[in-house]
Amino acid sequence: MKSISKVWIVLFSILSCTVSYAQIRNSKTETVKVYGNCDMCKATIEKAGNLKKIAKVDWNKDTKMATLTYNFKKTSQDEILKRIALSGYDSDKFLAPDEAYAKLASCCQYERKAKVEAKMDMPKKEMKMHEHRAKKESATETSELTAVFDSYYALKDALVSSDAAMAASKGGDLQKAIESVKIGKLAMDVHMVWMKVFKDLAADAKKIADSKDLSKQRSDFTNLSKNMYGLMKASPQETPTYFQHCPMANGGKGADWLSKEDAIKNPYFGSQMLSCGKTVETIKQ
Amino acid sequence: MNSFRIDFLRPLSILAFLLFLIQNLSAQKVVHYELVIKDSLVNFSGKTKHAIAVNGQIPMPTLTFTEGDTAEIVVHNQLKEGTTLHWHGLYVPNKEDGVPFLTQMPIEPNSTHVYRFPIIQSGTHWYHSHFGFQEQIGMYGSLILKKRANDPTFRKGIDDIPQIPVILSEWTDYNPDNVHRMLHNASDWFAIKKGTTQSYVEAIKAGHFKTKINNEWKRMLAMDVSDVYYDKFLINGQSESQLSQFKAGDQVRLRISNGGASSYFWLKYAGGKMTVVANDGNDVEPVEVDRLIIGVSETYDVIVSIPAENTAFEFLATPEDRTKSASIYIGTGIKQLANPMPKLKYFEGMKMMNSMMKINGDMNTMGMDMSLQQMDMNTVMYPEITGAKNSNSKKVDLQADAPLNQEMADMPQSDIVTLNYNMLKSPTKTTLPVDAPIRELRFQLTGNMNRYVWSMDNKVLSEVDKILIKKGEIVRITLYNNSMMRHPMHLHGHDFRLINSKGEYSPLKNVLDIMPMETDVIEFEANLDGDWFFHCHILYHMMAGMNRVFSYENQAPNPLLPDKKWAYNKLQKESNGLHFMAINDFATNGNDGMTMLQNTRWSFGTEWRLGYSDLHGYETETHIGRYIGRMQWFMPFVGFDWRYRKLGHNEIEKNLFGQKSTKDNRTQFSIGAAYTLPMLVILQTEVYHDGNIRVQIKRDDIPISKRLRASFMVNSDKEYMAGLSYILNKNIGVKTHYDSDMGMGVGLVLNY
Repeated sequence: MKSISKVWIVLFSILSCTVSYAQIRNSKTETVKVYGNCDMCKATIEKAGNLKKIAKVDWNKDTKMATLTYNFKKTSQDEILKRIALSGYDSDKFLAPDEAYAKLASCCQYERKAKVEAKMDMPKKEMKMHEHRAKKESATETSELTAVFDSYYALKDALVSSDAAMAASKGGDLQKAIESVKIGKLAMDVHMVWMKVFKDLAADAKKIADSKDLSKQRSDFTNLSKNMYGLMKASPQETPTYFQHCPMANGGKGADWLSKEDAIKNPYFGSQMLSCGKTVETIKQ
Repeated sequence: MNSFRIDFLRPLSILAFLLFLIQNLSAQKVVHYELVIKDSLVNFSGKTKHAIAVNGQIPMPTLTFTEGDTAEIVVHNQLKEGTTLHWHGLYVPNKEDGVPFLTQMPIEPNSTHVYRFPIIQSGTHWYHSHFGFQEQIGMYGSLILKKRANDPTFRKGIDDIPQIPVILSEWTDYNPDNVHRMLHNASDWFAIKKGTTQSYVEAIKAGHFKTKINNEWKRMLAMDVSDVYYDKFLINGQSESQLSQFKAGDQVRLRISNGGASSYFWLKYAGGKMTVVANDGNDVEPVEVDRLIIGVSETYDVIVSIPAENTAFEFLATPEDRTKSASIYIGTGIKQLANPMPKLKYFEGMKMMNSMMKINGDMNTMGMDMSLQQMDMNTVMYPEITGAKNSNSKKVDLQADAPLNQEMADMPQSDIVTLNYNMLKSPTKTTLPVDAPIRELRFQLTGNMNRYVWSMDNKVLSEVDKILIKKGEIVRITLYNNSMMRHPMHLHGHDFRLINSKGEYSPLKNVLDIMPMETDVIEFEANLDGDWFFHCHILYHMMAGMNRVFSYENQAPNPLLPDKKWAYNKLQKESNGLHFMAINDFATNGNDGMTMLQNTRWSFGTEWRLGYSDLHGYETETHIGRYIGRMQWFMPFVGFDWRYRKLGHNEIEKNLFGQKSTKDNRTQFSIGAAYTLPMLVILQTEVYHDGNIRVQIKRDDIPISKRLRASFMVNSDKEYMAGLSYILNKNIGVKTHYDSDMGMGVGLVLNY
C-alpha cells in the first residue's frame, strides 16, 4: 500500500511539473522601451529575449514597448535586454553593438534615438582618404606596362576579398590592358620577356574573366603571377614591388603573387588565411 | 587665524619635512600587508563550492607599491595544507620567489611566513599561489608597482591618468585535482559541456566527414583551443561590473593581468580602439589595436577612452574557446555593448590541424617561418574574419537582400587590427652587454593530448636535472613549439628580451606565448643567484611536468631550504603523480570494467569481465607497461591473466593459430605490447608463458554523436565484443553490448 501511494506521489509531481512547463514560475512582469520598426523587428526582438520557461517577451511595434515576463529568481530584466541588444535592438539600458545593428535588414534599421553620438570617430574616414591618395599616385605613373601591373593588382585585391564577380571583371580589364600594350615602346630586354609571356598572360586573364568560380580563378592566378613576376623583374616600377609566397596555396604546392605592400594579404585564401605567406623578394628599380 | 596656526605648526612641519627627506633618501619606506589565507565557500555558478579566500576575498587584495619601497608581506596560512605565494614578474631574491620545494618549504598550516624584498622596478604584475591547484580556486591578485614621480621614464598621459587594476580569471565547480585527473584520463566530459565533441554525426552535418576520418587516421582526438570547461569567467571576481566613476572624455588605464589557470582571453572594447602601453610590466611604445589576446599569466596595460556622453562602454573579455565571457562597463548611463565573439568553427580548425600534422605526430610547418603570434592558424575558425559558419550560400542570399548593410557589417571586420608580438617596441634600448659570453639553449615544446603529457624535448621535470647557468653570461633560448597547443612559457625572476623586428628595442617580457609551429628567440642576462623556475603557465600543463629549473652555479645556500637535493626530488615527484581511473559496466550479462593507475610513462592497469555464473566465466588481465616515444603510441608490457570458466565436458578451445587452451582455471604470465594504430585502434599482441599467442584489436569511445560512443574488440581467441554507450553525466552512462562469452547485455556504466 505504502509503495503504491509513493508511486502516486511521483506520478503526481511529474504531472504537475509538466503543467507548469508552459508557465513561468516566480513570474514578474515589466514593460520597457525597445527601439525598433516593424513586424520583422518584433520577431527578432522576441526570439532574442525569450528563454524557455524563464522569460517571455511581447513587443508592440506601435508603442515600441516590450512586456517582459520572467522568473525573477532565475533571470533579470538586464539579462533579457542585453540579449535583445546583442540581436541589434537598443533599449534605454543597453545599446546594440554597431555590427549587430548594421546586420539588421534595411526595413529594421530604426532610428537610434537612445544612442549618444561619439565625439570622435575618425579611423574609418582616414582609411578612405588613404585609398584615394594611392589611386591618384598610380594614375600619374607612365610606363608602358603600368596599366598591366595596375590591373594585375586590382585583380589580386579582388581575389584577396574573395569576390569572384569582381575578379572576373578585373581579369577582363587586365586582358584589355595586355592587348593594348604597344610592343614598339618597350625596351629591348623587356620586349624579350614580353614576347615570351604575353600570350600566356592574356590567356590566363581571359580564363579568369570568363570564370565565376573562385577556386578556378585562383589556380589560373598562380600561373599568371609566375609570368607577371618575370615581367616585373625585367621592368621594375618606381615604387617597390613585393614578391610574396604562401606554401599552403595551390593545394599545398605553394604559390606566389606580387603586391605593392609588404604586409601579407593572401589572394589564394582571402580572409580565410589572410596573413599566410611571406615576402620572398623586393623588386626595386 | 590661519597665519597663527601656520606659525604655530611651522617647527613641526619642518621636522616632518626633514624626516620625510631622510626617509626618501634612504628609500626605506616599508609597505606592510597582512594576508590571511582561509578555506571558504563561494557561489559563482549557483552552486556552493569550496574555494580559498584571502582576507575574505577573491581575488586576493590588490597590493600596491612604489619603486624604491620595501615590501613586507605577512602570510597567515589557515588552510589545512601548505601554501606559498609567488610574485609574478618581480625581481626578488631567490628565497622570496615562492616556489615550494625550489625556493622555500611550503608554509605549514597554521603558521606565518614573512616575505620581505625591495621593490626595484615598476609596472603591472600579479601574484598567486604556486602550491598545487590553489591558483585555480581563488589565490590570485593584482600587484601594482608605481613609478616614482621623478622617474625619467614617467610618461605624461599614460602614467598620470586614472588606473584600474583588472585581474581576469575563471571558475570551475569541479575540484581542480579532479579536473587534472580527468584531463589525464582523456575524459571528453568537458567537450560535451562545451559542445565541442566533434563527433561523426556532427562532422557529417557540417559536411566534414572526410575531415573527421582524416583526423582520426592521424590519431588525433577532437581538437580544441583550451582543455577545461569553466562555469564562469571573471573580471576582478565578477562576471559583470561597472566603473561608474568615469564620464565622457575620460581616459582610463586598465592594468590587466590574466590570473586564469588555463584560459587565454580576447580583449575588446566597445568604445573604439585600445592603446597598448605596457606588457608584462614593461613599457612599450603606444600601439592602437581593435583587439588582443592575453596569454595565461601575461599582463597588458591598455588605455581606453569614453567617447560619448551618458554612455558606459563594455570592456569584454572572452576566453579563447568563446564559451562565455566577462565584462566591465566603463562610464555611467546607457550601456554600449561590444559585439560578442562568434562561436568557433571547429571542423575548419580540425581540417587545418590535419594538414599541419604529420602521421608521426610532428607538426609540419611547410617551410613557413612562424613566430611572434603573427600568423594565427586558428584564424580559419574565426567567423568574424572568415565568414559565418558553413554558410557561403547563406551569405550571398543575405547580400542580395540588403547589399549595402551587409557590406557595411563585413567591411570593417576584415580590417580588424589584432595585436601581435612583432608590434611591441620598448621605448628604451634593451640590448644586453656585448662582451658577455653567450649560452645558447634550444627547447622543443612537446606533448600529446591523448594522455595529456606536456613536456620539453619530450622530457618532463622528473626526468631532467637542473640546467646550470653562470652569473654574468647571456642565456639565449630558442623555443620551437612542436605540440598542437599554445603554451605561455614563464621565466621566474628575470625579464627576457623577445627578439622581434624592433631590433635594439625588442620588448622585455617574462611570459612568452608560443603558438603551435612557432619558433621564437628570447635572451636574458644571468644576473641573480639561486634556482629559477621556467615553465608553461597553464596550470595543468605545469602540473604535468612542462617545467625546467635554471640553477646558478656556486650559489649561496638558501636558509629556507636546507636540503636542496631532497627538495628537488620532491618537486619532480609532484609533477609526475599517479592518476587513478576506474570504470565498471554493471550489465545484465556480467560486470565489465577496468582500473588504471598512470603517470607520465608508466601504466598499471587491470581489466575484468565477471559473469554471474560459472558458465559465463570470470577473467582478469593485469598489465604493467611503459609508454615509449613522444606520442606514446607504443606500450610494451608484462601481464598476468587469470580466468575461470566452466566449459562443457573436456571442451578445448582453439585459437586462430591452432593453439589450444582451456579456459578452465587458467593462470598465465605474459609479455606483449600495445600499439595505437591510425583511427585510434589499439593493436595488442601478447605471448603467454605456455607459448600461446593472442592478437587483439580494440577501440573504445568512437564518438558517434555528442553523447553516443561505440566500441568494439576482436581477438585471435575468437572472442569479440561490440557496444554502444550513452553518456548521461560526468560519471554515469548507459551501455548495451554483445560479448562472445557472455552474450547480449544492458547495463549502467559508472566511471571515475
